[in-house]
Amino acid sequence: MSEFNSRIEAQRRIVQIVNSIPWLEELFGLSSKAIQRWIAANRVDPSSPIVQLIKRAAAELFFLADQSQDQISAEYISAAERVAEIASALELQMRF
Amino acid sequence: MILHIYVFGSLCRGEVSRNSDVDLLALVDGFDSRFNPDSYSIYSYGRIKELWMEGNPFAWHLSKESCMIFSSDETDFIKELGKPSTYENCIRDCEKFRSVFLRGREQVIGGSASTIFELSTIFLSMRNIATCYSLGVLNVPCFSRDAALRLGSESAPIPLSAFQIFERSRILCTRGEGIALDSSEIAQVIPILDDLDVWMATLVAKARSNERIQLQN
Repeated sequence: MSEFNSRIEAQRRIVQIVNSIPWLEELFGLSSKAIQRWIAANRVDPSSPIVQLIKRAAAELFFLADQSQDQISAEYISAAERVAEIASALELQMRF
Repeated sequence: MILHIYVFGSLCRGEVSRNSDVDLLALVDGFDSRFNPDSYSIYSYGRIKELWMEGNPFAWHLSKESCMIFSSDETDFIKELGKPSTYENCIRDCEKFRSVFLRGREQVIGGSASTIFELSTIFLSMRNIATCYSLGVLNVPCFSRDAALRLGSESAPIPLSAFQIFERSRILCTRGEGIALDSSEIAQVIPILDDLDVWMATLVAKARSNERIQLQN
């Protein structure tokens, strides 16, 4: 799978985890504006662990988007691993 | 710190509509916290040079449709890069975006709870495959948001109303703006996914055929 497709897949996983429970309005994406809209529409506490995890995942994915496709650095790999860890933590949060 | 800021995209083509935003590009030398990634496409100088070397469609987009609005050193970095390398990854890119489409379609048909996100990825795949095809095969690059509708007889076989539903999904996903889709609108686009699949498969096949012809010549 290409690096581009992997990034979309990582976004998909985060969005799917959040939308695994019914909200008044689903999370549409991981841009800051989409996250802000989701927070407002569902009256979610912006300081809640769920919001913090979503924002961290978004930040890591933006970092990945600007990296060279040819030079996959150790920093890149660790960012990709952090997104996977955030997804697992988010899954755990969604259970409670 | 060296810094260049450009406007690019629809504004440089003179295409203005209520839906169009202002695409801004910041070229920076290392991390610069002043730039919000929601408002700017932020690239390092090294990354932009790489895109130029590989003939990436985004490099072609910037070379044809960007205007500098600030330079910290009085140079026009993009202009000085000259013409990007020949675009040679058309088949690979078209296949890549087709696979993005297929995953999105699979999710929508499977009843995903994230339908708007999935329709947004489908819009992205439509636009990008059309841009890559226009650049790599037609040699008349189209970087417009509605590139899929601007390929003449090879345009996506999709009514404008359905196209606008996909576009709205993309805007909801990226800008968080607009009215969320209702179930009737989602139902309206699902039957079109098969037509889009055939369209994309045809573009990929034509890109392959085009490369074979070029290799023979």
